[in-house]
Amino acid sequence: MLHYYVRLALNSLRRTPGLTALMICAVGLGIAACIVTLTVYHAMSGNPIWWKNGVLYAVTMDSWDPGPPYDPRHPTLPPPQLTYKDATYLASSDIPKRKVIMTQLTGMLYGAPGQSVPLRVMTRATTQDFFAMFDVPFEYGGGWRGGNREALPEIVLSKQVNDELFGGADSVGQSINWNGNRFRVVGVLRRWQPLPRFYDLVNNPFPPPEATDRVFVPFAWMAALQALPMGNMTCHGSGQVDNYQQFLGSECLWIEMWAELPSAAGRERFQAFMDAYWAAQRKSGRFQRPLNNRLTDVGQWLRVNGVVSSDSRILLRVAFAFLAVCLINTVGILLTKFLRGASIIGVRRALGASRRHIFMQHIVEVAAVSVAGSLLGLALGAIGLAGVRAIHAQDNTYAMLAHFDPLGVAWALALAAASTLAAGLYPAWSVGRLPPAGYLKSR
Amino acid sequence: MMNLNLRPILSALTRNRTGAVLIALEIAIALAVMVNASWIVAQRVQQIEQPSGFADRDMFAIGVAALSSHSDLGAAQREDLAYLRSLPGVVAASATSSVPLSSYGQGTSLSPLPGSNAPMTWTRMMEADDATLQTLGVRIIAGRNFGASDIRPLTKGFFESYPDVIITKSLADKLFPGGNAVGKPVYSGDSTPMTVIGVASNFIPSVSDADAPAYDALLVPQAPGDFGVYFCLVRTRPGMTAALLQTAERHLATSNLDRVIFSAQTLPYYRARLDAASRDMAIFLTVVTALILSVTCLGIFGLTTFNVSTRTKQIGTMRAVGARRRDIVMHYLVENAIVLVTGGAVGCALALGVGQWLSDQYQLPRLDLHFLAIGIVGLAVIGQLAAWHPARRAAAVPPSVATRTV
Repeated sequence: MLHYYVRLALNSLRRTPGLTALMICAVGLGIAACIVTLTVYHAMSGNPIWWKNGVLYAVTMDSWDPGPPYDPRHPTLPPPQLTYKDATYLASSDIPKRKVIMTQLTGMLYGAPGQSVPLRVMTRATTQDFFAMFDVPFEYGGGWRGGNREALPEIVLSKQVNDELFGGADSVGQSINWNGNRFRVVGVLRRWQPLPRFYDLVNNPFPPPEATDRVFVPFAWMAALQALPMGNMTCHGSGQVDNYQQFLGSECLWIEMWAELPSAAGRERFQAFMDAYWAAQRKSGRFQRPLNNRLTDVGQWLRVNGVVSSDSRILLRVAFAFLAVCLINTVGILLTKFLRGASIIGVRRALGASRRHIFMQHIVEVAAVSVAGSLLGLALGAIGLAGVRAIHAQDNTYAMLAHFDPLGVAWALALAAASTLAAGLYPAWSVGRLPPAGYLKSR
Repeated sequence: MMNLNLRPILSALTRNRTGAVLIALEIAIALAVMVNASWIVAQRVQQIEQPSGFADRDMFAIGVAALSSHSDLGAAQREDLAYLRSLPGVVAASATSSVPLSSYGQGTSLSPLPGSNAPMTWTRMMEADDATLQTLGVRIIAGRNFGASDIRPLTKGFFESYPDVIITKSLADKLFPGGNAVGKPVYSGDSTPMTVIGVASNFIPSVSDADAPAYDALLVPQAPGDFGVYFCLVRTRPGMTAALLQTAERHLATSNLDRVIFSAQTLPYYRARLDAASRDMAIFLTVVTALILSVTCLGIFGLTTFNVSTRTKQIGTMRAVGARRRDIVMHYLVENAIVLVTGGAVGCALALGVGQWLSDQYQLPRLDLHFLAIGIVGLAVIGQLAAWHPARRAAAVPPSVATRTV
């Protein structure tokens, strides 16, 4: 029976090639627009470390001056970064299972065997829990252990730097110059670039190639070498700053902190720890704004920092409005087309076809349009994404966003099939309800 | 005189009620999307066309970073500038801490009053020398420019405050709404005043990721490099930028091995990068709006065609009893107009609602009602054009059809 319906449907579609093409194109275009915007939106809004949601928390305190809030557009939020004093004190707590403080700076790498030109690398100065906390995968070696103050300071290279300077070989144990000081390579990462870069949203959640972390050095060595951060730094207060020690003691905000707090009890204890520190500091004249110490999990952190641009939200809605118009159009065409065939239906009904049969026959026709439209939509969507990539050929990260992931394809297919079938239900149902007698008479 | 009787048209419309309702719905959505999308596109285009206020087309910037903390960046800077100025075709060169239109830069907040409770104005800041304004092609409109002796040499200082500064017109108007800013003190969160010695014409300085490009800038007389990085800004004679950038990059890469060239780009490159998001948004919205309009027009065309083809006999009868061809055309156009007006009315409400929602949700400016008016007229014209062809076909039905059976 199904075979018969398929034949009927194909015949019917072939009878009106213009209308059929119009329907398939409309559905395809609508689906394609949705695929492109959904893929970009999905990639922007994704939580790249979702398996640790509810475990990792961004640590923030409002140490800003009592005047206007840090960010006037979000007056209730504390600044996203900490001062050196506060960060190092909070990181001394052993309540969190793991904790990390970090900042971004630039460095010059040179002295690798056969290297002729120094390589400028975006560097992350961070503490040793960074790699375990964020599940950073290693190709060779591992993170630093610290401890041995006599040995050379340790450095971890990204895969890209290791490929460039050491030809991808195991470089653990080799030494290299970073900003004029010798460091010993203790680890080389596998390819690792979480997007959005959740752990440092302040300095661009979608960093261009030149701002992507290339090497990692121990935070303590940054201060020892008196290096200055090369990322977002915001200062207030009138304290005189003439040397590095005064800089470390200043009210400048330049350090991000994360804590791994798997249990609610641990979170409460750490919150209490922060609040007690806040109260003690307030007595000595700091923290003059209301108490606003926060532990924010990754998902919430991505939201409050506005990682998904409002543009991509608007585009997503426009794409769905477009799909709606395309589907309404298809409903209209199907309806008129089916009604035009009413006299034939009248004959078939008179010859004994039940309403169910009529419905089935038409829904098969709808399904054929749906399948063809979805396939066209997928193809156009792939072309659209290739277009997005081409436009963003220079900044490769946005291109990475617009990849065509299998789960996304599955979703798009489901969306396409469901929406067209839903659109076809009404015409197929209403055509089955036509009284046959009226259409048997000549008009 | 044409006799416009709506009764038969309305009764004809109700024969294919669902079709008409669907088309009206399409028109409503199309109108709402079209009006709001073109409103957004208009703003993006405005942003893309926003004048930079300086000679960005003829400029390039070379980023220089110290090899280590022992590098003598001050000497490197003097050497680099001397080389760049000696190149034939270079109009002016300057060393700065930031690149206008790029995200390389700093910001600070300023107040006309001392103390931490004073109202602060956020501004971009730039360490500049006596050649910076000339390089940018920015004029001093009041007061004076920095002299060579004003520029502080590069030391390992932190967050210095400066006796003399220059601000742009836009910033001067915000800090001193009353008028003349020259000679007045400004404060940056502490009690040491900086004196405004000059007001420069507006230009877009470096841009932060968070804020829209603005003309507020503070220039301080300081040889840049305290963070181990400085930029050489160069203006060339028109059309020579790309070639000179290549020459300069090749020479500077090896002329001093105590520092490294980490970026070499023309200013139009930074401009394109700055506008990329707006450009994408404008392109996508324009394409989708055009598609929505085409699909809607095809829908109108399809509905009218269907109505014509199912009513051939009625049309013949109308012609037989005296309707002229243009009465038939008029019949279909009026029928279509009723659908358009209904859809348009719903679309108006929808467009206003969406506009309101967008301005609440995304801090977009309120929808300009001109856009709505133009959208309605445009859609009406396009909608009638889409029905024109099938209506003409209807008029071609000969009266003799009435005498035949199907």
